[in-house]
Amino acid sequence: MTVMRVRKRNGDLETVDVNKIVRAVERRAGDLSEVDPLRVATKTISGLYDGATTAELDKLSIQTAAELIGEEPQYSRLAARLLAAFVEKEVRHQGVASFSQSIRYAHQQGLIGDATAAFVARNARKLDDAVDEDADRNFEYFGLRTVADRYLLRHPLSREVVETPQYWLLRVACGLSANPAEAIGFYRLMSSLAYLPSSPTLFNSGTRHTQMSSCFLVDSPRDELDSIYERYHQVAKLSKFSGGIGISWTRIRGRGALIRGTNGKSNGIVPFLKTLDAGVAAVNQGGRRKGAACVYLEPWHPDVEEFLELRDNTGEESRRTHNLNLANWIPDEFMRRVESDGDWSLIDPTDAPDLPDLYGEAFDEAYRAAEKKAVKSVKARDLYGRMMRTLAQTGNGWMTFKDRSNALSNQTGRPGNTIHLSNLCTEILEVNSDDETAVCNLGSVNLAAHVTASSGVDWPKLRETVRTAVVFLDRVIDINYYPSPQAAASNPRWRPVGLGLMGLQDAFFTLRLPFDSAEARELSTRVQEEILLTALETSVALAEQSGPHPSYAETRAAEGKLHPDLWGVTPAQTERWAELRARVAEHGLRNSLLVAVAPTATIASVAGCYECIEPQVSNLFKRETMSGEFLQINTYLVRELKSRGLWTAPIREQIKRAEGSVQGIAELPADVRELFRTAWELPQRALIDLAAARAPYIDQSQSLNLFLSAPTIGKLSSMYLHAWKSGLKTTYYLRSRPATRIQQATVPVLTAAAEACSLENPESCEACQ
Amino acid sequence: MLLDPGMDLTLRPMKYPHFFDRFKDAIKNTWTVEEVDLHSDLADLGKLSPAEQHLVSRLVAFFATGDTIVANNLVLNLYQHVNSPEGRLYLSRQLFEEAVHVQFYLNLLDTYVPDLDERAAAFSAVENIPSIARKAEFCFKWIDSIFELRTLRTRDDRRAFLLNLICFAACIEGLFFYGAFAYVYYLRSRGLLHGLASGTNWVFRDESMHMAFAFDVVDQVRAEEPGLFDADMAQQVRDMLAEAVECEVQFAEDLLEQGVSGMSLTDMREYLQHVADRRLAVLGIEPLYGSRNPFAFMELQDVQELSNFFERRVSAYQVGVTGAVTFDDDF
Repeated sequence: MTVMRVRKRNGDLETVDVNKIVRAVERRAGDLSEVDPLRVATKTISGLYDGATTAELDKLSIQTAAELIGEEPQYSRLAARLLAAFVEKEVRHQGVASFSQSIRYAHQQGLIGDATAAFVARNARKLDDAVDEDADRNFEYFGLRTVADRYLLRHPLSREVVETPQYWLLRVACGLSANPAEAIGFYRLMSSLAYLPSSPTLFNSGTRHTQMSSCFLVDSPRDELDSIYERYHQVAKLSKFSGGIGISWTRIRGRGALIRGTNGKSNGIVPFLKTLDAGVAAVNQGGRRKGAACVYLEPWHPDVEEFLELRDNTGEESRRTHNLNLANWIPDEFMRRVESDGDWSLIDPTDAPDLPDLYGEAFDEAYRAAEKKAVKSVKARDLYGRMMRTLAQTGNGWMTFKDRSNALSNQTGRPGNTIHLSNLCTEILEVNSDDETAVCNLGSVNLAAHVTASSGVDWPKLRETVRTAVVFLDRVIDINYYPSPQAAASNPRWRPVGLGLMGLQDAFFTLRLPFDSAEARELSTRVQEEILLTALETSVALAEQSGPHPSYAETRAAEGKLHPDLWGVTPAQTERWAELRARVAEHGLRNSLLVAVAPTATIASVAGCYECIEPQVSNLFKRETMSGEFLQINTYLVRELKSRGLWTAPIREQIKRAEGSVQGIAELPADVRELFRTAWELPQRALIDLAAARAPYIDQSQSLNLFLSAPTIGKLSSMYLHAWKSGLKTTYYLRSRPATRIQQATVPVLTAAAEACSLENPESCEACQ
Repeated sequence: MLLDPGMDLTLRPMKYPHFFDRFKDAIKNTWTVEEVDLHSDLADLGKLSPAEQHLVSRLVAFFATGDTIVANNLVLNLYQHVNSPEGRLYLSRQLFEEAVHVQFYLNLLDTYVPDLDERAAAFSAVENIPSIARKAEFCFKWIDSIFELRTLRTRDDRRAFLLNLICFAACIEGLFFYGAFAYVYYLRSRGLLHGLASGTNWVFRDESMHMAFAFDVVDQVRAEEPGLFDADMAQQVRDMLAEAVECEVQFAEDLLEQGVSGMSLTDMREYLQHVADRRLAVLGIEPLYGSRNPFAFMELQDVQELSNFFERRVSAYQVGVTGAVTFDDDF
């Protein structure tokens, strides 16, 4: 074999010494008993070329360790530690030796805001002492890699990171704190990964552009050109600073409607949405992710059929919008007509301009009156069927329910305050108007960090986490930079926040509760009640200090109705609710809305838990992100299999072959297989029922994905009717799977003979060894 | 019998329903070039090291003509001999897919290579770049092997046909393309060139089906005429794969000549041998090399994907969903 050499930072070539790599890996491995440093070292060298740089060598060893995760999950920890060391080297190399130095350095580079820089300079010693480098060990590889690639601030020219993961979290805390004690407390909560604010806060807190809100809900443009182009401008500005956009388009006249100014006929909404599509794609959120928007339309709009085809991958490209998400904003009247197999009228908004602002009976009445001027009449079931087709073929065209969303909202206490749409992820429901764009800042409790197998949920800890979380979510409202005047007009008035949760599946695995069990449903409901109750208590306490939010008098809470009352349910913690009610009556609430369950796509990765309220999609899968691909394995399953002596190569092969399902592994007892079902293997009715049971304790809504491997119109129409009847305000993606798949490249070829033998005699089957 | 000369037009009763199922499955996976978003690739191209840039430019030069060759063989040599209307439905569908692949790589090259002269050079790679020319020659040799054969009259004719079919499935789609996919997936596992990767992912999904269909045909012919596939033929297949591996290793030497960390030539050779062994295994032939897959990033291709829609366009959806509105289906 030829001699392999690496090039050091100073340019010298040095022969690669396997022992040196082994020692470097061993140093990081520490207590990780199941990892083999020699294996990592030799595999690293085999992938190397002669003359590679030491940085390439370091990166390759991280990658190599990460690639062994499928065999032994401890390699994830090892890869994370190697990566932490790599990041630290990069930071130190720029002369940064402490947190306060990192802030000063980043401030000089124009990255940190003056206020945060001054705060840190004033309290340098206390803050520097608070940094807990060992907390890096809480990260799994995928989480830390996400942090390193996306969240850490980089030098504007060299692109080297200027903060370590712990400096980053402390920086986020300092950006939202009034004194060092507060900052350190919040930092500790985040670095334990028990709670994380949403990505915009993690990106921007403490920086020069403190846009920390996740969601913006923009009302439909008025039916005129100036207003439409103003909306493009607004969407671009909101998108630039990491916001996700929901925008309604219901007020814009349909195709063929008369334009009086020119005496021409309108081309309808599609060409305008095409422009919006291009605009959204053009805005790149600081290189960290692409802009994203969801367009909402009510199903009586005359262009609704074309709207449902916007994401099709065939047909005329000028009528397709591949970057926009689509959602239906559905009044109950439509669903009733679907059920009774009635007709449905499509009405031009110019003929019924008040429809978007009405809900419930007022809407029904106005709609029936406007039907006389209908542009077209269709069978309600035909249109519903098309909605289902769009869901199956594109995952898009989310079903969200207008009447329920409005009737069960704290913000709609006064006539004239209407929720016109939900947001990009269907968990935010807030009133807006032509000159008020609703805003929401989010954060999520990691339930996995509040549960142990022996004693269940740690309720006092959960309460404490929620209290801290609400205080800092509320804080964002005052510090936030608002990219548009409409957003700045709305948020200080309503002060809504969205506290969610993630890691529900982790809690169920820890407590061995099948996702569709009655116990799981009960636990999820009680957790949700605790979160809403504590959040409301905290908001009262904030109101006591700073007064209720300015529009408090317009809310249902001001009439003594809290969210569970709107649902007509009786909570479990009756006494606490009674006390709360009395205090609300006295002090009001600082926030009009408090709870929303967001999808947590990125922050759940950082925290290393399952996303929000979702079941696992697979026991073995990969995540694809801008940083690359990452193998993810269900560590709860691995632990279970290890304890039974079943974590063997043949079993791993079987799991891989079954695309992450364990249902075919005969060696596992039925109850274990039941516990480790995937989203594809669970009855979706259970997901809906769980969501409906917790919904009385979510004053906004939840991003509820539904999963069908092979959807049919029949299944979908039954499922979404059930979702509506259960009283859910919104649903989110319909996930399905490709009809065929890429041939697996790394499982043994299964010939007819091997297949037969594996059935008869699984132990000795060569194909599985 | 499947290879009997003629133009069978009768779909009912259907003789080979599994061919028809493959046709229907393929339709559900329809994708279009417009869905592939290449805009982040341009930024990535600027970030690549010179060694990686060399790799990418060679790779796209191969893609520029690869699928066209496969499509030509399908029309000229396969379609006429697979005498089953449902089989021909699948082949028609495959032809459409090859055309989409050609369009995808055309679009890719137009985007990646803005300089018109360089672009022309990439499209004429089969003539200019020795490592690609050698692969093309291998393909042409096998296209020519049955080009003159208008009907399969004898046992030897049918064997010649099978060898062509196996060559295109196992060596060209199954090894040349599989080799190329390894480079793309290497880049993807490093978070580079998402557009190339997602388009290639769909191409790969289609190619997997093409291969599976071809092996179905081989199995069918073997079942109908057991004596056809004898030791002599097995040896011919082994020789053919050995030559294909050699061609592909030479291509790898060219691609990796400047050194790419995480993708050494030693590992690539082992990978290609491993893939060749897999193709032989499917055909029930003894392996040639006994090599293992050294690339952990290829394992990532075998598991379900989960993308965050903020970052990547989710690709796992179906077209051609059927049924009517009802309210009492199980879900």
